[in-house]
Amino acid sequence: MNSESRVGRLAGVLVDYSTRVAEGDLVCIDAGPAAAPLVRELWRRVLAAGGHPHLRLDVEGAQELLLREGSDVQLDWVSPLRRSEVERADVRIAIEADVNTRGNTAVHPERQARAERAREPLRRIHFARASAGELRAVVTLYPTAAAAQDADMSLSEYEEFVYRAGLLDREDPVGEWTALGRRFAELAEWLGGRKTIRVVGEGTDLTLGVEGRTWVPCDGRENFPDGEVFTGPVETAVNGTIRFSYPATYAGRRVGGVELEFRGGEVVRAEAEEGGAFLREMLALDDGARRAGEFSFGLNDAVAEFTGHALFDEKIGGTVHLALGASYPESGGRVQSALHWDLVCDLRSGSEVYADGELVYRDGRFIAGPL
Amino acid sequence: MTDGRVERLAGLLTDYSLELREGQVVRIDSLEAGAPLVLELYRAAIRAGAFPYTNVGLSGLSESLLQLGSEEQLRYLSPIQWEEIEQLDALVTIWSETNTRALSRVDPARHAAHIAAQRKLSNRRWERISGGELSWCGTLFPTNAHAQEAEMSLAEYEDFVFTACHVHEDDPASHWSAVSTELQGRAAELGAARELRIVGPETDLRVGVEGRTWLAADGRYNMPDGEVFTSPLETETEGEIRYTFPAVYHSREVEDVRLRFEDGRVVQAEAARGNDYLQSLLDMDAGARILGEVAFGLNYEIDRFTRNILFDEKIGGTMHLALGSGFPQAGGQNTSGLHWDMICDLREEGEVYADGELVWKAGRFLAEPVREVVESGVGEL
Repeated sequence: MNSESRVGRLAGVLVDYSTRVAEGDLVCIDAGPAAAPLVRELWRRVLAAGGHPHLRLDVEGAQELLLREGSDVQLDWVSPLRRSEVERADVRIAIEADVNTRGNTAVHPERQARAERAREPLRRIHFARASAGELRAVVTLYPTAAAAQDADMSLSEYEEFVYRAGLLDREDPVGEWTALGRRFAELAEWLGGRKTIRVVGEGTDLTLGVEGRTWVPCDGRENFPDGEVFTGPVETAVNGTIRFSYPATYAGRRVGGVELEFRGGEVVRAEAEEGGAFLREMLALDDGARRAGEFSFGLNDAVAEFTGHALFDEKIGGTVHLALGASYPESGGRVQSALHWDLVCDLRSGSEVYADGELVYRDGRFIAGPL
Repeated sequence: MTDGRVERLAGLLTDYSLELREGQVVRIDSLEAGAPLVLELYRAAIRAGAFPYTNVGLSGLSESLLQLGSEEQLRYLSPIQWEEIEQLDALVTIWSETNTRALSRVDPARHAAHIAAQRKLSNRRWERISGGELSWCGTLFPTNAHAQEAEMSLAEYEDFVFTACHVHEDDPASHWSAVSTELQGRAAELGAARELRIVGPETDLRVGVEGRTWLAADGRYNMPDGEVFTSPLETETEGEIRYTFPAVYHSREVEDVRLRFEDGRVVQAEAARGNDYLQSLLDMDAGARILGEVAFGLNYEIDRFTRNILFDEKIGGTMHLALGSGFPQAGGQNTSGLHWDMICDLREEGEVYADGELVWKAGRFLAEPVREVVESGVGEL
């Protein structure tokens, strides 16, 4: 299979399955210039589906320039284009295609936090419209050398990894995702009646209250690739300690060896082997940034290895992840924050998960329930 | 390594052309090949305290739309585009094609339908520009495609473009301020003339300009710039003209155009190549046979024809006389779907008389112009 046809398949799944573009839809495509081959394919497929494609292409270096040189009012400003897009789009396809994932390392974390806060109102509109069914939005990644570098892979190895993770090497990717979606839905329903989840592993013993919350199956409509079932924990009922196995990159900066202690739902202790200052700055971003807005099981067995990118790492079959910051309203979670930072914990060896005291998951696999 | 000329061009555009101020919202339009200039403009705008954002297109997308789009898709204008245009204080357009002929084989009718729909938006934009609510400047970032049209290497073309913008030297803004003063003086001087007579090889044309306003194109709307122009009286063009450079309209060339005017209208037209196209454009509508513009090209850094009107119409020592729509701000009354700039090289043996007095010979004005700063513009700097 040549790379062109893989890009074409990815574009096809995004337009026809993930976002179900229909006639008359205004489709915003948000991408970096490195994703040009995917953008061109999407453009053709959106047109073929009767949609109206609209492009916002980033300019390499502009965001960094704003973060370095912008005044406070400039950091706080949001362009009318972005606002209109969020308010008007029927569909949004966001493509990550970094050419340098660490470009913001030297930027002062406070300035980065400020720029994140400025976009919070837009994020709120986005989530509200998505929850109300007015906006179908998917996030994906186009493989670049920079992302491959983070994964310690060559670009061609990384491309293989990305397309395999999206099940695009299968005969019928849409059929596969549809079948997975059904299984995830069954698991979500089975988890739905539970009151507490307790995760036990190396350096980790964390209990989360989930009573009354909805577990949401993720089948490639909002993230692509996908494969998780998540909920929003009860805001005051997260207690204990969790150690995250993998480093986490956020807004172009990396934090590693993170350990968090929660009491009454709030982070009361945060340590990191790498990037501690940035972690603390992000935790101080706003009130919601110290809370767990999301807890999730990673269920994509085509993603087996850590690659340094949350879109994939959080889907690794046999992991759980917890996000600091904003909840997804559809889960019933109520954390509001400019932050949503996924941190991943590998449970594939020496780990257990209890649901209401019952052992349901061991060493990365459910041993009870429908899976 | 950034080319210092790109940085100076960006500064010239924000400080001189747009006079960008703190708090203004500025959008930078380009294709992806213009990214180096987009980034420098973004930087210059941030430093000016403005709120810049970028609107960058990707080559190949227009072709897809024009090839695959339904009627509805071709005519679609998104609410996003409408909302944006009302909120801009300044706009820069960077022309930066990676293939200037990418649309050559597109069905002309579909292309026309798309352009017609987009015109609603551009009309609103022009309304805001002429109302003084929006400042706009169009410029070009050199690419191989544009260099190829000009029959140059990219390096040669970069030298050509940046020299024409005068950003090869420090402080291009002072250069353009001086140009502005000079052009305003010329415009004032020409404003007194009732009639111009243009004499050259197979050219002897009288153009009535009494009561019309001459305007100085001094780098506000275009960079590079350098012309003075007006819209002639619609019924008083008499005689004949031979255009030495190919006349290009929508990327199609017509060579060696000869026109004869009577009472303001073209009564005879022929071309050595592309004659059918010439005739069809003349028959586009009632205004297509009438001059909408007469202008002197006065940028002597632009010394050759490069198949790009941004530069060609400003070649120092040429005149261009455009068929079709006139400029209301110059007093022009002709309306047409056409505005076709055709360029006449007068550098070898051309002469221009104003009310019988020789004012221009071999591509240069003879006397120093009146040094009188007319109204706004320079004073505001």
